[in-house]
Amino acid sequence: MTRYFSKTAAALLLALSLASCQRTWVASPSLAETDVPVDKTITADPQYEARIAPYREQVTAKMEEIIGTAPVELGKADYQSPLGNFVVDLMLEQSRSLYDGKIDMATTTNGGLRVPIPLGAVKVGTIFELMPFENELVVLTLDGNTVKEFFDIAAEARYAPIANATFTVQNGKATDIKIGGEPLDLSQNYTIVTSDYLAGGGDNLSVFKKALKSEKVGIMMRDAITQHIRQLTAKGQPIGADTTNRVTILP
Amino acid sequence: MINRRDFLKNTALGAAGVTLLGLPFSAEAAQNINLTILHTNDQHSRIDPFPDDGRKYGGMGGMARRATLIEQIRKEEPNVLLLDSGDIWQGTPYFNFFGGELEFKLMSEMKYDAATLGNHDFDNGLKGLERQLPNATFPFIIANYDFSGTILKDRFQPFKIFEKQGVRVGVFGLGIELEGLVGKNNFGETVYQDPVAVAREMVQELRGKQKCNLIVCLSHLGYSYKEEKIDDLKLAKQVEGIDLILGAHTHTFLEQPEVVQHESGHETLVNQVGWSGLFLGRIDFAFNRRSKKKTDVRTAALPVNTPVTTS
Repeated sequence: MTRYFSKTAAALLLALSLASCQRTWVASPSLAETDVPVDKTITADPQYEARIAPYREQVTAKMEEIIGTAPVELGKADYQSPLGNFVVDLMLEQSRSLYDGKIDMATTTNGGLRVPIPLGAVKVGTIFELMPFENELVVLTLDGNTVKEFFDIAAEARYAPIANATFTVQNGKATDIKIGGEPLDLSQNYTIVTSDYLAGGGDNLSVFKKALKSEKVGIMMRDAITQHIRQLTAKGQPIGADTTNRVTILP
Repeated sequence: MINRRDFLKNTALGAAGVTLLGLPFSAEAAQNINLTILHTNDQHSRIDPFPDDGRKYGGMGGMARRATLIEQIRKEEPNVLLLDSGDIWQGTPYFNFFGGELEFKLMSEMKYDAATLGNHDFDNGLKGLERQLPNATFPFIIANYDFSGTILKDRFQPFKIFEKQGVRVGVFGLGIELEGLVGKNNFGETVYQDPVAVAREMVQELRGKQKCNLIVCLSHLGYSYKEEKIDDLKLAKQVEGIDLILGAHTHTFLEQPEVVQHESGHETLVNQVGWSGLFLGRIDFAFNRRSKKKTDVRTAALPVNTPVTTS
């Protein structure tokens, strides 16, 4: 309120002053604020606009670049899905090539995968739609009990595809958990690559805040996806998911 | 204690009015040298305004508009310093496709005087930063990262002194701990040093040897954390002698700068202007023309008539 009041009052005073002196009025930011809004009332400098324009056109054009082909649509579903499996598997593969230590698993949540990978040509823009968030990959070190807790959440909430692990859902809990084919050892620590958003407890994964260690991989999630698809295309391979069963649901 | 905010509100009108009228506060003010500090933080490659689609801050921001605003202020004010506190990069396809080239070029054209490094400015690794440095005509100022074991050795300065009508302004930079926040591949052998110890050295150097009249810290530490992690408020409390900390990293919108008072009476202002260039920060200082001592801080919302105890 006061901001507006002082602005109005200042403008009034200014109008009065203009009547008495010939000073040309230049719109001046009110010093009633230390943060001057950069809003629609300010005209964009045409010289800067001209400099930005060719870049803007290229951004638009680059979004149209085809980076790969999907012979079938990759959609998401509970527990495991072509889209979920594809993304967590590539998160693991891409991170392993960048991170020095061992990474046991990868996970993300369905909420972060905004659209399916469509049948046919996949463009750069498609990946920006799939992953509009500026999320980075991080490697979390979890103790065995926290890993068990995470699998229980994945079993109950159904929204977290997991790479390099299998489990059985029984009465809403995870049983028969195997990581890299080996049964979960509660006395052991495990590493899991995920997004910094989930690592910070986002999407109800506050369990990840119990991580013993958190290390950035050094790549954005979107860049990992784009890079992976480009690599597949370079190898002459289509975009496709490993749909081997990972989660068994007991009635 | 008087409600500070009310006091500020009451005085804001007068100050804003007088400034707009272009008249001095008093005869004394004529003896002053004014310095206008403009600042941004966490621009995150936001070249264009946010889409005007009803979202929060929709239609706001945009570097071409900021250029207009800065140019306007430069026409009105004789002494302007334009500073940035890091995370210039990452956030729009402009960065993904051009690696920060356009951000640096536009900032150079706006005549930024200095910037410090944010964690996201390492997102394309040391090589990515090295590649874009020729596009920045402004210096990067960072005092607590040791790059001597990296390809960026000798490319940055711990501080820089700007002289405006005889007023010496010392600007130094502080970066956040990179370990765990930036991939090891990306920061390589860059060594992070304790910001508090480094800031104390900087104050000594700038206040003492360099005889600065004002000390500004460009900080990418973050405004405030509940946990022990060092932040701008803790820094302001622990290190006496910094006049202004221009913060970043936590994307904090502050209605007015936070004032941290030291026992000696010295005050440190801490400011931050959110992110994405939605706002341009502005703080005006006045200095006695003869002594070059700071006599006044005018953000108008904050007419703190600071009795200057340090020189």
